[in-house]
Amino acid sequence: MVNESKSVKEFISLEKTELLDWDEVNQGVLLESFNSLNQNPAFLKQEERDYAQTNSYAASVADWRAVKPVYNRDICIDCQNCWVFCPDTSIVSRDKVMIGIDYHHCKGCGVCVEVCPTNPKSLLMFVEREDVDEALSKWPEKKKKSKGEEK
Amino acid sequence: MSTIKKIKNLKEFSTANDRFEGAHLLCPGCAHSIIVRELMNCTDDNLVIASNTGCLEVSTAVYPYTSWDTSWIHIGFENAATAASGAEAMYKARKKKGTLKDPDAPVKFVAFGGDGSTFDIGFQWMSGAFERGHDFTYICLDNENYANTGGQRSSSTPVGASTSTAPAGRISYGKKQKKKDIVAIMAAHGAPYVAQLAPNKWKSMVKGFQKALDTEGPCFINTVSACTTEWKFDPKDTISITDLATDSLMFPVYEIINGTELNILYRPKNIIPVEEYLAAQGRYKHLFKPENRHVIDAIQKDIDEKWEYLQRREEAKV
Amino acid sequence: MAEKIDLPEVVVWDGNFAAANALRQAQVDVVSAYPITPSTPIVEGYGKFVSDGYVDGEFVMVESEHAAMSGCVGASAAGGRVATATSSQGFALMVEVLYQASGMRLPIVLCVVNRALASPLNVRGDHGDMYLGRDSGWIQFDAYNAQEAYDLTLCAFKIGEDHSVRLPVMVHQDGFITSHTAQNVYPLSDDDAYGFVGKFKEMDEMLDFTRPVTYGAQTEEDWHYEHKAKQHKALIDSRSVIDKVFEEFEKKTGRKYNRVESYMMDDAEVAIVALGTTVETARLVAKQIREEKGIKAGVVSPRVFRPFPFDDIRDALKNTKAVACFDRSSPGGALGMLYNEVSGALMTLDKMPIMTNYIYGLGGRDLTTQSITEVYEELAKNAKDGKRSGKVQQFLSLRGPKMEYFE
Repeated sequence: MVNESKSVKEFISLEKTELLDWDEVNQGVLLESFNSLNQNPAFLKQEERDYAQTNSYAASVADWRAVKPVYNRDICIDCQNCWVFCPDTSIVSRDKVMIGIDYHHCKGCGVCVEVCPTNPKSLLMFVEREDVDEALSKWPEKKKKSKGEEK
Repeated sequence: MSTIKKIKNLKEFSTANDRFEGAHLLCPGCAHSIIVRELMNCTDDNLVIASNTGCLEVSTAVYPYTSWDTSWIHIGFENAATAASGAEAMYKARKKKGTLKDPDAPVKFVAFGGDGSTFDIGFQWMSGAFERGHDFTYICLDNENYANTGGQRSSSTPVGASTSTAPAGRISYGKKQKKKDIVAIMAAHGAPYVAQLAPNKWKSMVKGFQKALDTEGPCFINTVSACTTEWKFDPKDTISITDLATDSLMFPVYEIINGTELNILYRPKNIIPVEEYLAAQGRYKHLFKPENRHVIDAIQKDIDEKWEYLQRREEAKV
Repeated sequence: MAEKIDLPEVVVWDGNFAAANALRQAQVDVVSAYPITPSTPIVEGYGKFVSDGYVDGEFVMVESEHAAMSGCVGASAAGGRVATATSSQGFALMVEVLYQASGMRLPIVLCVVNRALASPLNVRGDHGDMYLGRDSGWIQFDAYNAQEAYDLTLCAFKIGEDHSVRLPVMVHQDGFITSHTAQNVYPLSDDDAYGFVGKFKEMDEMLDFTRPVTYGAQTEEDWHYEHKAKQHKALIDSRSVIDKVFEEFEKKTGRKYNRVESYMMDDAEVAIVALGTTVETARLVAKQIREEKGIKAGVVSPRVFRPFPFDDIRDALKNTKAVACFDRSSPGGALGMLYNEVSGALMTLDKMPIMTNYIYGLGGRDLTTQSITEVYEELAKNAKDGKRSGKVQQFLSLRGPKMEYFE
């Protein structure tokens, strides 16, 4: 995924975090966000940042999921609803164009699917083990609104 | 000099580079992080953030991980407002003495607290910080209970809600006391800007955040944070529940500038009966028993009166 | 630019004003404070310095002592020199923040003017508040007079801010007896004092935007123990920096501080261990009783009781035959802190002196030279008999039937 920073070699599951000795832990329980920073991170995309291993960005919560969202580029209108309402910074958007899902950090909550305005939706939930291309091939057709049905 | 960046529409907003990282421990669907992301994306300024003990703090800084890309401090349950006060005072002192590393870098001080720490245990600390007039913004993430510890009642819990310490039972319909009007209380402190905002109405939330950050002095914002775990609804419905909250006017969205100019920021096209909002959450399902229906009527009445009051005050400009 | 004050060679200051001047001379960046008897004059004195233009930093009058220490923590994490003052109930109110400050390894100086803890409510001098904060993870000094309150406050900044230490420091002084008693003090000049303390050197500051840091993380059961062990080590290791700074201070002023102060201990057979103004009274009596009764008396007093001066206490008392530990804090059903901690150190000796515990002076009750004389005489008897004449713990100057416990 385009938002992956080279500073992270492997997005390890939180469960598999290595336990350090007393003489290895940070003084004062301090945590650093970056290894180095040459400007305000507000001006750097995630892939341009030198994340510290103590930044949760470097960890993965993929094992939290039982279901996952699959993104359909062909239907998406780049409205950015999913981007603004994702609680896990897992919708990747660049230059006003939707790229896709950051599966390291997505918990499968399903909010993105609910707020997607297209018909059919451009994001749908599938079981975790479903292959993305398989899922795309199963995409439903446009839903017809029956008389009196609420939007 | 104002450092507000112009955000015309959601596409423009989406070009912001997130400074709140994933793999935090908040529940799937939690509105806290939606609100925090809207705050951190609405400005490019450096931020120094203080958080009270609560869901946000406990899920974003568990050793050895931090989800914050800006400096952040948690001291205890009550004192984020004071931590921000201390940091802001240090900034002022060092600016005067010329000992800041980058004196021209714009920085904003923000304190976050849940409703438990804001309305209850940390109220004094916040009140003191506002009386002293520190230049910071206090944002309350209001999920109407002590969610972090399993859903106990707070003074923000509304009438009729069932919580673990004031549960609905054979002889009780849940909380009997009314919710504190925190926005009015903070406006009465003489704060130059206070507001109640909702993350589903992202545009007014972002504008409100920007106004607060840009206003010199202490600003207070209460935000409705729908809690999938304690309000008891499916995680995917966080935004739709928030829609019901704002459309039923259970959570009116408004701002008060300099204590006198009240502006309603969202007027629902169709105001829905609060019953629809209540029906969508497990914490209110007991209210639909025949013996409790009077509570729903009382809730509706309060909402209607509050809405009437807000409109009149907006008109009268007092 | 803050104005300087041209101080004469000797001034007449009480302990409170001495502390306030030390804070002024150290050029503290943020003082976040709340008033409480008997420390209030420190805050008032500092406030007057601010309003007269002698202070450049910020002075934040917060709404409670808990907020006072919280403001200090926020300011210290932001990066800069921070200090405050309190007593008793205020100290008790900020206790949770004391632990938070030390756990986060933030340098903060706290002037504690020791006063009894309620109930009943009492504003007088007693070490109840001092004892409450024992385990809070702070470096802790005890001043027995105004000069020492001044000197130790200056040293406190230098020690706590040292990058190899990074710990908050308390400077205790007796409420009223030191804090409100006018005494001769030999101050350093403003330039010398600031020169000694030095410019604040930032470390892990929140205001360094090139390096965002997270303070106050949570640690689960997999991590907490290692962090607290590391903090304990930092306290133990700070002894070398404390010794170094005390040496530097001696070179500058001729006044030498030691982590344990010994008075007439070279040949002492009996000794009193005490804190606060009692130390000076005991020294007076020790000198007198040697001359008048030939009792080889001495006085030992921790100057730095956190980190606990285990070795130095043992060295000071190793040749004694009987030791009385004086505790000026309500014991709550147990023996006093000094008794427990000193006994703990002396247990590593091949032959331990006979140990006794005296509770005294609670709520500002006066401790007379007469009482101390009687204690030395009891100690001499214990030493001669090779055993305690009474029970382990006694209450001095208590009206009513004699109260004593533990044998």
